[in-house]
Amino acid sequence: MSRLPLALLAAALLVAGPARAATPAPGGDAGPIRVRSARVVAPDELRLRFSAPLPWTDAENFRLTQAQAPDIPIPVLRVRPAAGNRVVLTLGQRLLPAEHYRLELVDPPLAHEVQPAAWALLLTVMLAAALINNFVFTRYLGLCIFFGVSKKRDTAVGMGITFTLVMIVTGMLSWALDTFVLRPLRLGFFQIIVFIGVVAFVVQFLDTMLRKTHPVLHRRWGIYLMLITTNCIILAVPLLNAQAGSGPLDSAALAVGSGVGFALALFLMSCARERLEFARVPRPFQGLPIAFALAGLFALAFMGFAGLDFFR
Amino acid sequence: MSTVLHPGPRPGAWQLIRNGIFAENPVFRLALSLCPAVAVTTTVLNGLLLGVAVLCVQVLSSVTVTLAKGLIHPRVRIPVYTVVIAVWVSCIDMALAAFTPALYAQVGLYVKLIVAFAIIISRLEVFASRQPLVPSFFDGLGMGLGFLIALLTIGAFRELLGNGSFAGVPLAPGRPLLFFALPAGGFFSIALLMALFNRVEQGGRGGAAGPSRPTGGHGV
Amino acid sequence: MSLNVIQPRPRLTRRELASIVLSMSAACLVGAAVLGLVYLGTDRYRRASAAAAERAAIGEMLGLDAGARLLEVRQYLVPGRRQIAYRVAPYGAASGPAREVRFAFDGAVSGERDLPVATPPGREWRSLGRMFVAARAGRPAGFVVQGETRGYKATIRLFVAMRPDFAIADMRVIEAQEDPGLGAEVAQPWFREQYVGRTAEEIARLDVTRDPMPEDWKAALVALARRAPDGPARHGALLRRERTRPIYAVTGATISSRAVTEGVRRTVDHFRRRWWLLAPHLEGLL
Repeated sequence: MSRLPLALLAAALLVAGPARAATPAPGGDAGPIRVRSARVVAPDELRLRFSAPLPWTDAENFRLTQAQAPDIPIPVLRVRPAAGNRVVLTLGQRLLPAEHYRLELVDPPLAHEVQPAAWALLLTVMLAAALINNFVFTRYLGLCIFFGVSKKRDTAVGMGITFTLVMIVTGMLSWALDTFVLRPLRLGFFQIIVFIGVVAFVVQFLDTMLRKTHPVLHRRWGIYLMLITTNCIILAVPLLNAQAGSGPLDSAALAVGSGVGFALALFLMSCARERLEFARVPRPFQGLPIAFALAGLFALAFMGFAGLDFFR
Repeated sequence: MSTVLHPGPRPGAWQLIRNGIFAENPVFRLALSLCPAVAVTTTVLNGLLLGVAVLCVQVLSSVTVTLAKGLIHPRVRIPVYTVVIAVWVSCIDMALAAFTPALYAQVGLYVKLIVAFAIIISRLEVFASRQPLVPSFFDGLGMGLGFLIALLTIGAFRELLGNGSFAGVPLAPGRPLLFFALPAGGFFSIALLMALFNRVEQGGRGGAAGPSRPTGGHGV
Repeated sequence: MSLNVIQPRPRLTRRELASIVLSMSAACLVGAAVLGLVYLGTDRYRRASAAAAERAAIGEMLGLDAGARLLEVRQYLVPGRRQIAYRVAPYGAASGPAREVRFAFDGAVSGERDLPVATPPGREWRSLGRMFVAARAGRPAGFVVQGETRGYKATIRLFVAMRPDFAIADMRVIEAQEDPGLGAEVAQPWFREQYVGRTAEEIARLDVTRDPMPEDWKAALVALARRAPDGPARHGALLRRERTRPIYAVTGATISSRAVTEGVRRTVDHFRRRWWLLAPHLEGLL
């Protein structure tokens, strides 16, 4: 995969992301001064853009804290006004673009959260689940289905799409059950039964519905549905979400990312295995062992995604 | 699929156990439940913990299903098996979290995922629901032992080469081949060990009756 | 697999349907009962063994004997009133009588009171972490503070142990889901030992270098981590040479190494400020 499109996408997000995180500005300068945007432009510099020129630009006007440590102010060393209602703060500490900070002003009394845009964070979760922490190649989940289904390209694509759709539905249902039923009643130890029950129920429901409404589709895709029940990933994603206590958007992002990652892994593997049909494989390696070796090569390649992060 | 299920004289205990370890080894021959085989085998102790967990779940589920054979309606047998397995997995999970917290912290997620293993539910369907108690127990034991031995073998291979130690005891100076402790190396180790298993099997048969390959998981 | 054999299914009679529903419900109920019992049996044990392990780890990190007094300080954020609340109690009795001290964000004291009976924290209070203070003869003998930082895969949780002058006594990485052999190396004794003995000022300016660690220094670190009494004397020359250098990152895991360094720096800095505010209010507890 060429790095350039990824870099362009990252640049676009870096520019668009923090800008969207700003509070919406009222029209014109008639209203009170608001913060339009806040961006970390250097490890120790924070650039703010206001809706109107700021009257008082002394360091005492600003108070910046980490969201988790609101009682420890980060020292503001210097304040430098810049063009276009901008102000650049030089801080006595390194700022991490991915962290959540809180900015407060004394005059005018303002508060602003400095953090990456919500949808940029979700995209990071999705990409992490799909590429950096790919469920097949980095976390080794879903392997049984993976090796069984990846022999031909169209079965791989079919399984990938079916799996992603079922994953999203089960993921959200499991999250809802965990958040609104299991957690308040402190029945955490029921998680395994409930999650596998949700999977079995959804799969059975979809299977029956498909059989009644689209028999042709059912003949083609029905077998994939049945195989999903014994896929480790379909159980791992709700468990991981429950462990981390994620919100609905984060859970959905993880579900989508894991499905996309699994589909990607299946597709790549099937392309390679189709070529393998024409290779001369030594006898002990024929069948599954050579497929494992192939998966190992892919896992090596996916290690290259380590450290991929929009915010560094 | 099974070599032990044809009608005839009832298989003895040792035969069942040997079957589970060699002829129908879940990892190397049936190629089922592969996820933990790669994930937890970075060290021997992790593999041991998960292998013992699977052994317990397999034996307990086989015994439960055999005892409750008459009460399970055939139409709902799969959901009932799933519930039985899920209950035992949850119990083992809680017990491990309480009594071996240090090791459990590393393999916790995979212990919970035992409920999704195909090997356990297929064993219940194929064997435990049709046989009386004692053969069912030994079959579960054999399958569990086969799984445990497979995990220990892979774990020993990866820890020795990747970490230069065995069960935490350092043997070789430094790390000979760190690669084997990483995910990619896990795949390669299984490929090598499976091929070795095949070679030994084929050498034992003298190469006759064609190559006997692993059935390649379940799929289309 | 033979689970999907499609065969014409006979229609269920009412009795059969009832018996199916009954047996499924019975199975679920029995399962739930078994689970509940096992949970009750194991949960208490699990919590007790976790607490014992934590006490042992703290004692080991600070070199305490069993007779030293240990206090547990829980920090909470009270969002509505913009206050930070501390609850101080002897270790192991954190749900019993405690002293509560509240500060506003600018450091002014908002309130101090002794809670004679167990009082749960307010519902909207958010926990910001725990700190442990070891006391001997009415003076602090060491601190252990929880810290958190973002590694390259997930959050890294660590414990930092400090001497009364805020120099690092020990550091432990308690949770890190990094790769074995790469990021997970930050939990190894030789990496952690690099932080031990550095003063708080050194920690504030600490940097991470990607230069490879000299082999003799690595061997010395492994030996020092065993805490033999004559360790610092035996490796005195190496200590003097390396003590002023930055932290050597784990080869191939610069991100994790930097994350841990930043985590230690942040933990020490935050704790110093908070202790300076809190210490005068701990009369009679130390």
